[in-house]
Amino acid sequence: MAKQATEIKVHQPLRVSLARDWRLYFMMILPVTFYILFCYKPMLGIIIAFEKFNMFKGMWASEWVGFKNFEFVMRMPDFKVALTNTLWLNFVGLLAGFPVPIILAIMLNEIRAVKVKKVSQTLLYLPHFLSWIIIGGMVLQIFAPSGVVNTALKRWGWIEKSIPFLTEGVHWQTTYTLVGVWQSMGWGTILYLSAITGINMELFEAAKIDGANKMQQIWHVTLPGIRSTIVVLLILNVGQMMNIGFDRPFVLGNPQVQKYCDVLSTFVYRAGIKNSKFDRATAIGLFQSVVGLIMISTANLITKRLGEEGIW
Amino acid sequence: MKKLVSLFLVLALALGMMSFASAEDGWVTLRVETYDRDTPGFDVTDCWQLKYAQENFGDPNKIKLEFISYARWTENDLLVNDMAGGTAPDLCMTYNAPVQQFINDGGLRPLDDLLNEYGPDLKAFIGEELLSYGQSDQDGDGVKEQWFIPARRMSVANVGNFIRKDWLEKLNMEKPTNIAELTEYLRQAKAQNLGGENTIPFSFGIFAQDPMFNVRRITDAFVDFNQVTEEDWFALAHNPEMLPGAREGFRWLNTLYHEELLPEGFATNDDLATDTALTQGYTGFFSQQPDQPWRDDKNYEVELEKAVPGASWETVNPFLNESLGKHLHDVYSANGLSIIIPKTTSDEAAVAAMKYLNWMAIPENMFMLQNGIEGINYGRLTEDGIPTDVVNTENVPNDHKMHAGDICFIANGLCFFDDVKNAAALALKFTGYEDEVRDSYVDAMTDTWTQIAFTTEVEAATDYDATVKSKQAEFLAAVISCDADQFDAVFDAGIEEIKTVGATEMIEGFRAAYQAGTYRGTFPGAK
Repeated sequence: MAKQATEIKVHQPLRVSLARDWRLYFMMILPVTFYILFCYKPMLGIIIAFEKFNMFKGMWASEWVGFKNFEFVMRMPDFKVALTNTLWLNFVGLLAGFPVPIILAIMLNEIRAVKVKKVSQTLLYLPHFLSWIIIGGMVLQIFAPSGVVNTALKRWGWIEKSIPFLTEGVHWQTTYTLVGVWQSMGWGTILYLSAITGINMELFEAAKIDGANKMQQIWHVTLPGIRSTIVVLLILNVGQMMNIGFDRPFVLGNPQVQKYCDVLSTFVYRAGIKNSKFDRATAIGLFQSVVGLIMISTANLITKRLGEEGIW
Repeated sequence: MKKLVSLFLVLALALGMMSFASAEDGWVTLRVETYDRDTPGFDVTDCWQLKYAQENFGDPNKIKLEFISYARWTENDLLVNDMAGGTAPDLCMTYNAPVQQFINDGGLRPLDDLLNEYGPDLKAFIGEELLSYGQSDQDGDGVKEQWFIPARRMSVANVGNFIRKDWLEKLNMEKPTNIAELTEYLRQAKAQNLGGENTIPFSFGIFAQDPMFNVRRITDAFVDFNQVTEEDWFALAHNPEMLPGAREGFRWLNTLYHEELLPEGFATNDDLATDTALTQGYTGFFSQQPDQPWRDDKNYEVELEKAVPGASWETVNPFLNESLGKHLHDVYSANGLSIIIPKTTSDEAAVAAMKYLNWMAIPENMFMLQNGIEGINYGRLTEDGIPTDVVNTENVPNDHKMHAGDICFIANGLCFFDDVKNAAALALKFTGYEDEVRDSYVDAMTDTWTQIAFTTEVEAATDYDATVKSKQAEFLAAVISCDADQFDAVFDAGIEEIKTVGATEMIEGFRAAYQAGTYRGTFPGAK
């Protein structure tokens, strides 16, 4: 499909297309300005990573120190812990969290009663709009040693000692992952649902006539139909492996599980921002971005080799 | 519709020109950082104190005052951001922002000329000794410049320990005076479930910002001062867990934890649970500021009395250090927060800022700012002229809800320009609990030592302090919750880790600063 489109496209001079589609170009001004102002202009700031940054002199006048900030940060013992945790938590999160929206989208798609479908969709989206601070408070109330779950289980005599959902490393990581899955699964279904809507209905009918049952239809029609969406989202997710939000680990973490909950974002906050060492914080940020770029490129390359369409 | 819009625009333009004209009239706008404690109903940018200062100081001096709201508990982060962005208020104050770094990096205005010309009353109020805390020689000419103005602390008391009076009576016990007696009290309270099935005898949590800040009050009681030199005391300023003997203090906490005398989730920083336990009567002992149980914002005493009739808190001194025979209490140094004028402040605003500080230092102005109005903020004056029958914040009109310590920030605490009155005033503002608060301050001022501070920047501390603190929090959680037979191994491994994340460098840095004499504070073991 894509190939055909490029073949019939006639190359037009910019002047002609500007004259014809000026409204579209005009509308583009806003998003383009946004990207220049908020994505490209701040990129200049990465030079702070190579400076002994003096906040009052600014990034043009601060002393140039080369890779010193990188060396300092990477020599810190906590850096390795944070890096490993970031990758591990993201990997587990991807493993547990990636299939859930797909399954959920298929299930939602199969609901026939429109009202039930609408209500369940809304309920599923809801957690996405809650701030992590609120979710953190809820998690504490529910899973803390003196929280609802432990108190109830103890009262019923099912357990003797509290289950350390938040106070033991592996338990904490499980809680962290599952809460994350719960928070984002509903929102994640949106793209899949729209992809499913795009599947030609005749394919389902043909499958039905051939005697395919529901599971077979899902397996042979729905899933292949949304395969390209799945792949694109997978690549994008792999590109995010080095990035981890700040709020979630910061809010859910506590000193007792420090070795399991310390990630790059919280490490940057502590070793860079809290000490007002913006140069070191920038260095870690730059490191994260470069590794992220490498990862996303690799994932893209592999998918292309496997015969799928990549994202570029 | 169009006409309306254009009319509006013309009006806006006219108004804009008017304000421009007034600026040309010699009016200066002074933006003052003001702490915001999220008091319900209260807006710091539009409060009675602002109006009072505007009328009595601003208008006569052609200065337009603006209060800029800074959340109290994140003030340092906010200030660093604004300083870095060049958008800081004209007059700032801070407890925790890296003032020394601001000075070193050239972000502050030197204050000598301003102070000499516009600040005679301020100079007299703060005093030479305290002012010198804010001086250092940055240009290398051998003469120190004034970089910040330290606020004067009215009371340096910092620690209060509180026990349930009604529990002691039920247990037929005297107030514990040492660790063994306290342990016995906690055990008995648990055994008899004095707080019901939720009994938590000892309220304890990790203060992640500075984990050892509270804990050292416990562990210092176990330190063997025969083995501590003054130099070590200062070198280990941020690492009290490494003082000889401190290990036993942590072991004691470990024991308490396993006997379920500490909250099981002590590491999860569940403030709500802690407060609930204190006010619902589950808790038997806690440590805080000397006036904490009676404070307006979290009145543990009043709430407790509501929940459990007959219950009350009283002050106690259980942390006896055997090697000294003293109940050690750390106290603040005489300087409070640091007042600074950023380099970005205009010359005119800087002059206005100094005039404002000077105006604050005049007794009647300070009195009004701190105490408010008779009949609204307090019932009457005592014979000595100290407000009494102070009205609870909840019951004053919204624009009068300013925290007394925040508005007149050249003084930390109520000031009546008389030491005896100042001491009396500490308790007088707690209507109905004057005696309890007075006793608590007496306890807090027994066997005191002044907290350590270094007067030059110790670079290792700037580099590593945050990582060391985070490691200390982890250490604390680990040594308290580990199995008793593993305690020593966990403790040693934890100390090693704290050392490797930067404590070694910090200790060396502090030691050097001690040897160079650039420190303040006292050594409790001094012979």
